[in-house]
Amino acid sequence: MAKQTIKFFINEIAATAEVETDKLLVDFLREDLAMTGTKKGCGVGECGACTVIIDGRAVNSCMVLAATIDGSSITTIEGVNKGEQLHRLQQSFIDHGAVQCGFCTPGMILSAKALLDSNPKPTEQEIKTALSGNLCRCTGYHKIVAAVTAVSEADCGGEKNE
Amino acid sequence: MSNTGMGASVARKDAVKKVTGQALFAADIVRPGMLHAKVLRSTVPHAILKALDISEAAAYPGVVKVLTAADIPGPSGDGTLVKGEICSDRDACFPAVRPCGVGIILKDEPVLVHDKIRRIGDAIALVAAETEQAAEAAIKLIKVSFQELPAVFDPIEAMKPDAPQVHPNNILTVRKIRKGDVEAAFANADVILENRYRTQSVEHAYIEPEAGVAEYDGSMLTLWVSTQNVHFDRKEVARTMNMDVNKVRIIQAVTGGGFGGKLDISVQCHLALLAYHTRRPVKLVYSREESMVASAKRHPYIIDYKTAATKDGKWTALKATIIADTGAYASYGPGVITRAAVHATGPYEVPNVWIDAYAVYTNNPMAGAMRGFGVPQVAFAHESQLDLLAEKLGLSPLAVRLKNVLVPGGITATGQVLKHSVGIKETLLQAAQTAQKQGPNFPKWEVE
Amino acid sequence: MKKRGVGIGCMWYGIGNTGLPNPASAFVEWLDDGSVNLMVGCADIGQGSDTVLAQIVAEELGVSFDQIVVTSADTMITPEGGATSASRQTYISGNAARLAAAEAKKVALAEAVEKLSVPAEQLSFADGYVYVSGCKSDLALKDLIACCRAKGKLTLGHGWFNPDTTGLDPETGYGSPFGTYAFATQIVEVEVDTATGKIEVLKVVAAHDVGRAVNPDMVVGQIEGGTVMGLGYATLEELEINQGKIKNPNLDTYLLATSLDVPEIVSVIVEDQEPTGPFGAKGVGEPALIPTAAAIANAVYDAIGVRIYSLPITPEKVLAALDEKYEQ
Ligand code: FES
Ligand code: FES
Repeated sequence: MAKQTIKFFINEIAATAEVETDKLLVDFLREDLAMTGTKKGCGVGECGACTVIIDGRAVNSCMVLAATIDGSSITTIEGVNKGEQLHRLQQSFIDHGAVQCGFCTPGMILSAKALLDSNPKPTEQEIKTALSGNLCRCTGYHKIVAAVTAVSEADCGGEKNE
Repeated sequence: MSNTGMGASVARKDAVKKVTGQALFAADIVRPGMLHAKVLRSTVPHAILKALDISEAAAYPGVVKVLTAADIPGPSGDGTLVKGEICSDRDACFPAVRPCGVGIILKDEPVLVHDKIRRIGDAIALVAAETEQAAEAAIKLIKVSFQELPAVFDPIEAMKPDAPQVHPNNILTVRKIRKGDVEAAFANADVILENRYRTQSVEHAYIEPEAGVAEYDGSMLTLWVSTQNVHFDRKEVARTMNMDVNKVRIIQAVTGGGFGGKLDISVQCHLALLAYHTRRPVKLVYSREESMVASAKRHPYIIDYKTAATKDGKWTALKATIIADTGAYASYGPGVITRAAVHATGPYEVPNVWIDAYAVYTNNPMAGAMRGFGVPQVAFAHESQLDLLAEKLGLSPLAVRLKNVLVPGGITATGQVLKHSVGIKETLLQAAQTAQKQGPNFPKWEVE
Repeated sequence: MKKRGVGIGCMWYGIGNTGLPNPASAFVEWLDDGSVNLMVGCADIGQGSDTVLAQIVAEELGVSFDQIVVTSADTMITPEGGATSASRQTYISGNAARLAAAEAKKVALAEAVEKLSVPAEQLSFADGYVYVSGCKSDLALKDLIACCRAKGKLTLGHGWFNPDTTGLDPETGYGSPFGTYAFATQIVEVEVDTATGKIEVLKVVAAHDVGRAVNPDMVVGQIEGGTVMGLGYATLEELEINQGKIKNPNLDTYLLATSLDVPEIVSVIVEDQEPTGPFGAKGVGEPALIPTAAAIANAVYDAIGVRIYSLPITPEKVLAALDEKYEQ
């Protein structure tokens, strides 16, 4: 299997890795980096469970070859909280009961984070649109949308939320 | 200390782990020296399995083990139907009945097919390899010879005596309800409505596909599984492996939804076999396609309803025939159809009831438990019938329901007297009142 | 033209397996510092049983939810729980957990009687303290438990519960198959586009009799999730099976509702308490979905005057039914 060396930032840490050229990013994260917070629900870019942020954009990591992240900056769910300190989105998901089985949750949080990072005060419709690529079979979405809305309303354009 | 007991909307115990990605679902678990498994599944719906040639697969680089039904230590082979009626103590008598399979109600699903394929997706062989890719490649090298049989996909066809036999008797369950005298009620009825309703097959579509990891240390088998019932899993694995029940440990991994679809055995027995034969930890994770092909579905129904009512809108009789396509294996089918029959009147008191409800085998995907367990289908029928009645009599949909709802002291179709906590009327009233506050489109039904 | 309509769907649902024994059990160990280990066979698949069962134990013992650690669904550690199905775990494992807690509490209560020289009937446990005739005493539960332990009395409990049912007669179906039933009414507003046949569900009012809500937010979560799954069942989802083969075996062809498809949902919790339930609770997991498709079908009829007799109610079926109506 052909291999390629890539350099990238993962959750703000500089990294270098050898990857098989046909390896999907989701598998690279889960297997090579042992970061299993990124989930795999369909493998065809439909469920959003594998969402990560690449250079500020929410991307389905099952649709991207790991080799293509060379030079990019990746955020996974493991990099959203700072140790014990939860990100406001994570806290808001807990407070609003937006988590049931939790399998969609990492992807949902990353899609929401990508939205709020670029658009801190989205409308409800913008939130729903940003999350529309993330399927949740448990919650019916209301509490998830409420959780994201609450963070955007609390975010009065101050310092960027980390 | 604020109240955190009854009535408190505390945050879930597992919430922090789930929002930080630390929650370990079965596919996230890694054990030292772990192998990866794949399952060979049938691509035809009905066939006699003639022969399996695993030699090429076994020789494929990275492959550690290829298993077929012949490698099952316990009495779990070809899925010969063993009826509860023949053997009232199902679990106790299975060791004497060889071979048999797995299943919550009937052990009719083979762990691995050894003589007959009954649906697309039947498991035929297993591979454990050093990598998932090697396992996947090896699966494709297994040669299967089979002789196709005529198949049946329509439950009404399957009920006919000359239909292809999925099992020795395609009619798996007949559940009857008889209360009062429906024919007399129809003779005296002011309004009779008769309609056929149909419902479709749907998928649970939990976002987490089935997954598990197993390991065997020479005496204990330990499995981490995405499941809804560890104690059932334990018994099925123990019987398959011919081990004492307490030598099997099932640990539920964090489970990404189930909705009834993770009540059946999925990866459990396959993992147990591979871990036992390789003495190494083994992981099996379904792809979405495999999950959709192999797992149980919601039963599609054909529902014939004939209802009688007085001109005041009081239901006096329900006669119903319900046919559920349970696919190739029983799974929860008998339970689903029984529940459908019991709930067929809806939350209403109907004095005369006649119901015949069937669960029928076909060569379709297996149907089993799914959120609602056979009741959403009949709810569609009884609620449609009530609205048709209301329209005929010029009653509001609310009024016709209030005339018929069960109240404390009410008697169900099975003769059960409901003594307390019969909140249907209250939900109707509160829903109507709340709806009327939602805007002008909601009718101002008079709430008596 | 877009036309709106409103429909009602009602349902009932027996809690637990139909006419069959289906017990569940629990172990409770109350520790020296007042914290509690709860072991239940019940599998939490996302619906939140670990949380609900801990709340029931917290209520029974008078301790805080945070002091309870739940171990669930591990056959080496936890006793039989039966299936997480039939909307049975709040009612059945809930009763088991409460009984297990009550047994552990008995030991502590006897100790409190001795310590405070007050008859047991006057004692209760709440907020981490012993109460005498409803007034808080100085005796903290953790000191009470430590006291028991120091005397060699362990505060342990086990409990199991099997709902009171009878089997169904094979010929008549006669019997009492459930210990209790949940009930619900959903009222749905839809908008149907008569040109395209497309149905939009605008609003759902969902009133559910759950006996008693152990955790109201989580009950609402079940109602919302179930309703949206029911909406998919009514209008969106269908496995296309041809000659036994599923033609749409992935999520790109088998469509689920997304965040853009969901209506406003107004949840109403009705609490008609069930005396045999833990503190009056029944269940809600499945009831949340059951009436939705029925209500949508009725709302579609109300909107456009045609009744669709098969699920899912697709645009094609709506258009065909409208065509047929106009031909007549
Ligand atoms: S796994 Fe990537 S979108 Fe579903
Ligand atoms: S919480 Fe289960 S899929 Fe979203």
